[in-house]
Amino acid sequence: MRPILSVSGLCKSFGATTALTDVAFTLGAGERLAVLGENGAGKSTLIKIIAGVYPPDRGEMTLDGAPHRPSSPGAALAGGVSVVYQEPSFFPRLSVLENLYVGREPRDRAGQVDWRRMHGRGEELFRRLDVPVELLSRRMDALSLAEQQLALIARAVDVEAKVLILDEPTSILTDAEVRRLFLIVQRLSDAGVGVLYITHRFEELEHVADRFIVLKDGRLAGDLPASAADHDRILEMMSGRPVNAAISRSAARPGPVMLETSGLTVPGAVSDVDLTVRGGEVVGLYGLVGAGRTELALTVFGVLRPTSGTMRVDGRPHTPRGPRDAMAAGIAYLPEDRKTLGIFPGMDTLSNITAVKLPELLGRLGVIRRAEERKLATTWIDRLRIKASTPAFPVTGLSGGHQQKTLFARQLATEPKILILDEPTRGIDVATKTDIQQRLVEVAREGTAVLAVSSDLPELLAVSDRVYVMREGRVAAELSGDDLTEDAVLRATMGVNP
Amino acid sequence: MTTTTVPSAFAPSARMLVVLRNALLPILLVAEVIFFTVAAPGFLSAANLANVVINSADLALLAAGVTLVVLLAGIDVSVGPMLGVVAWVGATLFVAGTPPPLVVVIALLLGGALGAVNGALVVGGRISPIITTLGTAAIFKTVLFILWDSTDVFAGPVVPALGPARAGGLPLVGLVVLAVFGVLAYVLRHRVFGRRLFAIGNDAEGARLLGVPVGRTAFAAYVLVGVLVGLAALIYVGRVGVVQATAGNELTLPAIAAVVVGGTSILGGEGGVLRTLGGLAFIALLQNGVVLMGVPPLWNGVLVGAAVALAVAFDVLTRRTLDKRIGARK
Repeated sequence: MRPILSVSGLCKSFGATTALTDVAFTLGAGERLAVLGENGAGKSTLIKIIAGVYPPDRGEMTLDGAPHRPSSPGAALAGGVSVVYQEPSFFPRLSVLENLYVGREPRDRAGQVDWRRMHGRGEELFRRLDVPVELLSRRMDALSLAEQQLALIARAVDVEAKVLILDEPTSILTDAEVRRLFLIVQRLSDAGVGVLYITHRFEELEHVADRFIVLKDGRLAGDLPASAADHDRILEMMSGRPVNAAISRSAARPGPVMLETSGLTVPGAVSDVDLTVRGGEVVGLYGLVGAGRTELALTVFGVLRPTSGTMRVDGRPHTPRGPRDAMAAGIAYLPEDRKTLGIFPGMDTLSNITAVKLPELLGRLGVIRRAEERKLATTWIDRLRIKASTPAFPVTGLSGGHQQKTLFARQLATEPKILILDEPTRGIDVATKTDIQQRLVEVAREGTAVLAVSSDLPELLAVSDRVYVMREGRVAAELSGDDLTEDAVLRATMGVNP
Repeated sequence: MTTTTVPSAFAPSARMLVVLRNALLPILLVAEVIFFTVAAPGFLSAANLANVVINSADLALLAAGVTLVVLLAGIDVSVGPMLGVVAWVGATLFVAGTPPPLVVVIALLLGGALGAVNGALVVGGRISPIITTLGTAAIFKTVLFILWDSTDVFAGPVVPALGPARAGGLPLVGLVVLAVFGVLAYVLRHRVFGRRLFAIGNDAEGARLLGVPVGRTAFAAYVLVGVLVGLAALIYVGRVGVVQATAGNELTLPAIAAVVVGGTSILGGEGGVLRTLGGLAFIALLQNGVVLMGVPPLWNGVLVGAAVALAVAFDVLTRRTLDKRIGARK
């Protein structure tokens, strides 16, 4: 196979932190190479160097036989490196067509933006990918979620790339879209494009990779063909120690009903949902993105108002006017997006943990009792094994997984009756993920009613005693016991009868 | 591969909101004209409308400049005081006998240089645009006060087209304004520079990752604001005939008002200079109409301030509703 991209001796440090040390690999034309590694292993840094976001400190890169030293992301793009970042950015107030061509607008001889040619190319692209052409003239923010997703994939694919880099593209995609993406990746690799695919999901490996490399602490820890993708072995390479990925789950002894909704309806999001969660059990909530799961959680937490239906918490009617009411009723909510909805980035780990608990830590004259606050934070840092050397460690200095643990600690510290988690382990390395899942089950077994929203089906199956599947705002299925299988959940999700 | 059709429960209302955002200003403008035509005699006369054009030509160019930086999610609140400095320099040179074409060139260059100061601080210094331009506004005010040195500079129009002259009843500055807006509208739609402003205003980091030179583009936009201020300063001299210690200060707020009332989002990424022209018409006719009705000019500040507050509130509220849908995908 002709090599299309090769890197050797790549090193990169940020201040005192070493991100990459002597990384070397070769990507062949038409090859699909998966890059695995825990958070902080250097995957993102590697991509960003190839994509021209950072210059390497040392090392050489060769793209299609020529030296590759991009001075900017634009230069890398022009050289044939197309990247879909983990959280793809788009331009909500521009048309879909313009979104496709930002930064590479076709121009005529006078240097003007050639709208007609742009439109022609956009139409051809959408036809090729089977996306409705009439979307092109709509504004991006007037599209449905699935349509936006399709447009973003189309944008990445349209660049005449020699190397396509996908950074965890599936973490916000639904299963149907993931399959569409795999198909597109397959076509591109057939056409000779080298694909670099960053993922946290083992089950994707066989679909998207011919070979995989494993990064650990910024070094290359393995380079194997996909046929050798033995999950235990990869885990070992990633973490450097044997990991038992399976979590232990004792049989649930469900207690009294803690949360009950009946006929709950939020226009445009949730319709007629009946749901119960008992103390002591983990109830999973599955569905495609946009199925109404998060909205349901937000309604229980008092952020969204239902137009009809009732809720009961611990037997009492629950009509929250806002999150404060919901919290007073004993509900804790861990939001979906920790960066924008949870972490207080300017603060230390301690303050992040105790933020919600502060009213109970006040002494006379409303002064915070620092010693007690510190004790509380230290307790949770120890219990969840948060990697903060001191409670005063800045929370942004923690890895994503440990930031998530910090948020988890914040909610657990309130000793909630009902704990609602929205995508509790998204984008987190495997070891931390397993750790959080295990804690989640333990919390339930101690008597808390846990409602977990997740798009990660293996996770949901591992932790849940019961699963509700939502589809287009409704509960499509309630599954438990022997009926709770991957197949049954997927069928309900897709609206296929068993 | 089949086409995915996921029902989009929110999409129709989002589209309606976009339609409402676009239709609101034309409706308000028509209502305004009807109201003043009935309430203020002489409002709809050719002579009065020509006056409105002459009196708001400098403001129009400031608003055009502010539109460019608001589009990229920046702002420039130093345009009024900046105009004062350039107006003083231009008028002083003109009175001293400098050839008019040279005065024009110097005014444009000086404006561009002052704009470059803003641009360098915002782009190079990574200081937020509002703080940067509040700071430079204070500096420009002081510079003008020192230059003025207790002596008003009296000067006529540097060239006839930048004064109150009319050709066949049409004010010449009106043509200058239309030409500038025409060029800018073309640039925003058909030049890569213009499209970059929109992309940056939507998502600067995203644009950077797609190869858009964000810093260079933003810097150029602030320089361009300065150049427009330079031209506006000479129109100001031609209109007012004198440069005093606080020249131009009163123009900043109405310039921003014209932009936001026109419907260019204060949060960036959406709008355009033709909308600003509509917003300017609304503000200028409002100020003119209430004077004709006999309301003391003192109330102008209240009206313009209220227009800004209402327009920004409408903008932010509708944008929030639209953005909520986007937030839901993550």
